[in-house]
Formats: sequence, C-alpha cells, structure tokens
Amino acid sequence: MLADRPPFENLYRDYLGRIYAYVRAQVATAADAEDITAQVFMNAYQAYGRFETRNTSPAAWLFRIARNATTDHFRAHGRRERLRRTIERQPVAEADPGSMAEERLQYKALLVHVARLPERQRDSIALRHSGLSFEEVGVLMSCTEDAAKMLYHRGLKALRDSVHQEGE
Amino acid sequence: MSEEEDLELKALQRQLDDAFQTTRPRADFEEELWLRMQSRRPIWLRVRKGLAGLVEGIRESRLPSVAAGAALIMLMAAGVFTLARLPHGGGGASTAAGPISNDGAAAPGGAPFGAVPRPQLSVPPQVQGGSIAYGGAATLVWAGNLQVTATALPVYRYTEPTRADADAFAAKVGAAPSADVAQGGIGVYAGRDFTLVVLASVAQPPREPYFNVSDLKSTVKSTGDSVAVATAILAAHHLLPTWPYQTAVQTIGGTAVRVDFLRSFDVPGLGRLSLVDSAGNPYGTQVDFAPGTAGAFETGPMPLTIDPATYPIISAAQAIQSLGASSAPSGGSIPVVRITKAELVYTLVWGGDHSYYEPAYLFSGTFSNDGVPSVKRVLIPAVVPSLLAP
Repeated sequence: MLADRPPFENLYRDYLGRIYAYVRAQVATAADAEDITAQVFMNAYQAYGRFETRNTSPAAWLFRIARNATTDHFRAHGRRERLRRTIERQPVAEADPGSMAEERLQYKALLVHVARLPERQRDSIALRHSGLSFEEVGVLMSCTEDAAKMLYHRGLKALRDSVHQEGE
Repeated sequence: MSEEEDLELKALQRQLDDAFQTTRPRADFEEELWLRMQSRRPIWLRVRKGLAGLVEGIRESRLPSVAAGAALIMLMAAGVFTLARLPHGGGGASTAAGPISNDGAAAPGGAPFGAVPRPQLSVPPQVQGGSIAYGGAATLVWAGNLQVTATALPVYRYTEPTRADADAFAAKVGAAPSADVAQGGIGVYAGRDFTLVVLASVAQPPREPYFNVSDLKSTVKSTGDSVAVATAILAAHHLLPTWPYQTAVQTIGGTAVRVDFLRSFDVPGLGRLSLVDSAGNPYGTQVDFAPGTAGAFETGPMPLTIDPATYPIISAAQAIQSLGASSAPSGGSIPVVRITKAELVYTLVWGGDHSYYEPAYLFSGTFSNDGVPSVKRVLIPAVVPSLLAP
C-alpha cells in the first residue's frame, strides 16, 4: 500500500551508506562502487511505485537490487580483472581522486580480503555485516537461513586464514 | 572450536562491523546522486514541485478557473505521457540547418591526445522506433553497403568543467546560485521564474556535463510551429545550440510536444555525422512543452570548449571485418540478424578529467526476436586499434 511506504528520499538517505559499503566490499575501486550504487538507486527509484512493504522489507528489497547490480557489473567487466588480482595478490588499485579519502579508512585492507573470497562466501559476509538478518541473507541468496549461516561462518574462517596468510 | 579460535573469529566480526560501518562514499556523493536522480525524474514529477508556483501564476493572471484548470491538466498530461519515454527521433522528424559553431566545424589540428578510451554501446531494453533494442548475442550477417573514403577523422576532447565554469554558464543564462547549491561541481541556480541545474559528466552510461531548466512561467507563446516555439524557448535563455543540429518533433500523448535538437559534427568531406548516445540513439538538446500552457522543460549539453585532434581511422572493410568478429556462432536460441545499415557517427566516451567525442561505425539491423520486432546495433570504434586505450 502506498500509505505504508516511506518517502523514497528517506530510504535513500538511510541506506545509501550501507548499500555503498556492501558494493564497495566487492568491487575494485571506489569509482566502480559509486557507479553501481548510483545504478542501484536509479533502478530503485524507478521501481519504487511497485514496491510493497508487505512482501519484503525495504532493506531486503534494496539489497536485492544491489546484489543484482553487482552481479551484472562482474559479468560485464569483472572477470578478467578479478582473475588478475587473484593471481597477483595485490591490493586493489585506486586511481581516482575520490578514493583518496577512503585510503585513510582503517579497515580498507580488511575489505580487500573480503573481496577475494569466493563469491557466495563474500556475499554472505557483505550482506550480514550490512545489517541483514540471516533469514534475509538466506532469502536473497536463495538458500535457507541455516545454509546462510554456514556460508557465512565458512567465509569468516576463510577470511581469517586470508588475513593470517598475508601477515606471515 | 577452541576458545582462542572463537575469540579470534569474534574479533574479526567486530572488525567487519566497523569496516562496513566506516566505509562510506565521499562526502559529496550523496547530494550529487540525489540531484542526478531528481534531474532524471519523469517530467510530471518535476512539474509537481513547481505546480504551486504555476497555480499562483495563473491566479495572478486572473484567468477564468476553467482555463486555469485546463492549463494545469495540459501541463500534467505533458509529464504523464513523458513516462512513455518515446525514443529520440521518432514521430514526424523534420530537418533544419542550425548555425555552425566552432565546436562542430573546427578544422582538425593540434597534437593528438594519445591513446583514447574505447567507445562502446550499452543497450538497455527500450523501444527504439517501434522495435525493442536487443543487446544480447547474435549471429550477424552483413547485408549492407558501406563506403568510406576518409582515412582520418577528428577526435574532440573537452575538459571537465569546474564549479566556476558552471557559475559562468548560469550567469549567461540569467541565473544566480540558489540556496540549494550542492557541493562537488554541481550547481543549482535560480533565474526569473526558472530553475537551472548543471550536472557534471556521468561515466556510465556516458553523458557530458548537462543542464536542466525547469521553466514554469515561460513568457514564450507556446502555440504555432513546434520547432519555432522550442527555438524561442531556448533562445530566451540563451541556450540555443551553437553546434550543427537537426530537429525532430514528437507529439507526446496528443497534448505535449517534445522537440529534439539532435547534435551532429561537421566533418570536411563527409558532411554531418550524428552524435549518438550509448544506445546508438541521436541526442542533443531537448525541449518539452504543452502548447497553450506556460511551462517548459529544457535539457541539453552544457556549452563547452572542445579541442580537435586528427586520428587515423580503420577502413570500411576493416569495420565490417570487426563486425564479423563480434558475431556469435549460430545455433541454439541465438538469433540471426541481417545487418543492413551502417554509418559513421560520433559518440561520447567518458574519460574522467577529459572526455572525448570519437568517431565510430554504427551498424544496425532489424529482426524478429520470437515474434517481437527488435533491432540489433553494433558499434565499432573508428580510431585505429593502436590508438585506443586497452
């Protein structure tokens, strides 16, 4: 029902940062993250008239759009770059001026490790730490809540191992 | 799991929480994107914000209430039917020669810009001239005729404008920075009875810096020849294109009118080459208005200085060869498309601080995709591969 929906601007202001962080944890550059985040909200804006809160929460709805947009990005641009990064094991390159501020973030290196995880593990971690429940993560990833938990914990252990390996 | 391992994972979870909570876009991004979304809203939503002012204007003019109501309905109709997103160039197209600017007609010269980024299409599903644009794989069969004698063409480059550039442009249009001014190279300006928004280049789909004017109390008489009306509306704001153009007129929903001033580049020996967007559609400056009402909406490229440099191009035969290389093997559900049309065009390629208008071969063919009339377009960069950035 229209009356149940918050104004789109509220959704935009509330979720822009979380959606950006979710995308940023998966793609190579801040510029890519901005482009995908922009696409997410453009798509959401166009589709908002059809969004019904009784079917899903605003968070789950937006993260579904974000997940699809990120997948599309990888299909279009990402495969060769990801393979190259995996082989070289280098931190992602940041060439754009807009990313300079992000360089200062304390946890950027950790997100680089997240980006290197297998796709479904990476996705479960990014969705969970973007504030979604395991039930919502499961729905988005087309699996049960328990399977989502399992994926997440496997991802967490893989992440720990990745961080340890680099420290050695 | 040992207690130590458990603690280690919990610490990692805490770090992840912090990492996701502290990873945020740059400070200006939120307002920039919001403005971009606002500027791309369907026209009726843009109208809604200004309706209060329009109603006030109608009241001030002491129009009979029936006429005022009709004016409102007409203006709203203009917006509602814009939702149909009719394609550029559809409907009764007409042509008119525009003044030739230094932009489009500048003689090639100056130092080349080094390797330039590669132009490409990104075709969203959309109606184009009665057909659905098809962006998927296809087996391409060349069945057209393409002859190009040119061996070099100009590439045009512009520098991303600064906030000061946007301010100067707004001043020329007759608008001053408003209280809503956003940061980051985007300007919002107020003029007498109109609002001007200037937006920076967009990387994907590529878009040059552009303006939107919401003109709610235009003094231009909006009846008569549509092109003349649109020309007068643009001229009133000093926004008439200075580059060569053709006009195309669409009637939207039977009441509103859209006039496109489709940009082209004058190339010595080849005539005018159309500028196409990332879907292969011609574009330029656009004016929407509803005859008999006071409102109008104008959007188009911000006037910029562009520098030319000559680049060697591939031949028509090489372009056709590249077309063949992009063809998918036949079989399965992959459609077979006869490519019957080809033309040299210019297309915008975003490059960050500098972006480019580059020549390209645009191939197209129509086909039936499971009974749905569809069009397949393929863009082959014209600049020789050795001068395209990898």
